[in-house]
Amino acid sequence: MPLSTLTPFQLSVGQIALAVLLAAAGFYLLLPRPRRRRVGVGVAALLAAAAVFAAWLVTTFAGPMPDLVGSGLFGFFACGALGFGTVLVTQRNPARGAIAFAFVILSTCGLFLLLAAPLLMAATIIVYAGAIVVTFLFVLMLSQTGGPSDENDRSREPLFGSLAGFAFTGLVLFALYLTQLGSTATAGDPAPVPPQRLPVTVLTAAERKTLLDVVARLDAAPEGLGADPAPPGSGEPAAAYFDSIRNDLETVTGSIGQRLGVAGAMPDDPRAEPLRTDEQAAAVLRRVAAVREANENASRAVINHLFEGRPDRSAVIAELRKVRDEALLLSGSADLPARNTANLGYLLYTQHLLAIELAGILLLIATIGAVVITQRKGVAA
Amino acid sequence: MITLGHYLAVAAALFGIGLVGFLTRRNLITSFLCAEMMLQGVAINFVAFARYHGNLQGQAFVVFILAVAACEAAVALALFVMLYRRGKSLDASVWQSLRELGVPPAVDTEPLPAAPRAEDEIRLPPAGVRPAAPADEEEAARV
Repeated sequence: MPLSTLTPFQLSVGQIALAVLLAAAGFYLLLPRPRRRRVGVGVAALLAAAAVFAAWLVTTFAGPMPDLVGSGLFGFFACGALGFGTVLVTQRNPARGAIAFAFVILSTCGLFLLLAAPLLMAATIIVYAGAIVVTFLFVLMLSQTGGPSDENDRSREPLFGSLAGFAFTGLVLFALYLTQLGSTATAGDPAPVPPQRLPVTVLTAAERKTLLDVVARLDAAPEGLGADPAPPGSGEPAAAYFDSIRNDLETVTGSIGQRLGVAGAMPDDPRAEPLRTDEQAAAVLRRVAAVREANENASRAVINHLFEGRPDRSAVIAELRKVRDEALLLSGSADLPARNTANLGYLLYTQHLLAIELAGILLLIATIGAVVITQRKGVAA
Repeated sequence: MITLGHYLAVAAALFGIGLVGFLTRRNLITSFLCAEMMLQGVAINFVAFARYHGNLQGQAFVVFILAVAACEAAVALALFVMLYRRGKSLDASVWQSLRELGVPPAVDTEPLPAAPRAEDEIRLPPAGVRPAAPADEEEAARV
C-alpha cells in the first residue's frame, strides 16, 4: 500500500505506532542483562525511532513561520534531554547514569529558558546540582564496583516494561494529535487542520514600555502628595503630573481594548486574526478593565485630595498603589517577557501564599523524616 | 516555528523514557533518577502551558514541583541508606518479600558473568617498600 494513498490521520497514527515499537525494541535491546547486549542494533532502532518521532512532529505541528535560531535551540535541547535520558536508563554504571541525569537537567533548563522561565532555570540547576552531588556520594559509597551485580546487570521485565512505558507515551502523543485536529476528527473523515495564523499581539513593546514608565512614576508619586506640590524630578505641578499618568494609562488600555476586543485592528497584516477570542486575550481584557477602574478611582481621589483636602493622604496612596499593581500585572500578562521573575514572586506571594507555607512545612517535615529514618536505634550519637 | 505541541510531545517522550527506566531498572538510585526525570517532563508541560496562556500560573506550579522533588530526594536517599544497611545491596528485588500475597517471586535464572580475577588486576606496591620480584626473574638472577 503506497504511502500517498494514506490519509493524514492514518499516516500520523502509523508514525506514532512505528516510533513506539522502534523505541521499545531499542530499549529492550539496550537495557542491562547478564548476556551480551546488542548495542549496535539497539542504537540503530532508537535512532530510527527518533527520526520517525521528528517526522511526526514536523508533519503535525510545523508552523508557517520559520525561526531558525529558536528551532535549532529547541532541537538541540530536546535531543539533549531525550538522548541523555536514554543513556541514564540504559547505562549499567549508576555513576555514569548520574552524569547523564545532570545533562538531562541542563537540557531541560535550556528548554525553560526558551519558554521564558529564567527563575525556574536557575532554581532547577541549584536544587538538582545539590541533589546530583549527594547522589554521587551515595553512588560512590554504596554501589557495587567490584564486578557484575544484580542491581546493575539485570533488568526487571525489560520487554514488557519498555512496551508499557512507550505505549503510554504513544497514547499521550495520539491524544495530542487528536487535540491538534479538533474534537470532530474521525478515522474516516479527519477535520482539516486550520492554517496557523499569527495572532494579534495582546500587548506591544511600546505599550509595555509605557506601562512600566507609569509604574515608575507611580512609585515616586506619594512624595508629590505631601507639602511639596510636585514630585521630585518631575518639574511639573502635582495635578499635571497625575493627569499625565491618567492619560497614559487611558491611552494604553484604550489601544489594547480596541485591538483585542472591539475593532479588530491591524488590517494590514493578512495573517492576523481580526479578533482574539482565546483565554489569553480574555484575561488581558479583564486586566485592562481592572486597570481602567483603578485608574478612575485613583484620579478622582487624587483630585479631591489636592483641591479639597479629602480623602486623606494614606487613602490616596492606597489607591495609587492599587493602580500601580494593576498596571504592573498588565505589563507582565502579555506574551511572557523573559524578565518575569518579579511577576512570579508577586504571584507566589499573593495568590499562592498558603501553598508556599505548606511547601515550606513539607520541606521541614521531609528534613526531619530523613533524619529519623537514617537514625540507628541503640547507637550512641 | 516551535509551538506548544512540540514542547508537549518532547515532554511526553521524556516522561515515557523515565517511566521505562523506573519500571525496568533494579538499582534504587537509578530508579530514583528516572522518577526525577518524569517530574522534569511534567515541569516542561507546565512551563509550556504558562508560555502559551501568557501567565505565570504554570511556573508557580513548577516551583512547587521543585519543592516536592527536594523532599522526595531527601526521604528517598535516607530510605536507600537504611535499606542498604539491612540488605547490603541497592537491588530493589532484595525486598520482593514485601510483594502482594499470591504473586510468585521473581527468580533470576541467568547467571551473572564471572567477575574479573584478582590476579589479572595490576597492583602497585605501597610507597617505600621494595617490590617483590617475580619468580622467573628470581630464578634468572640465581643462574
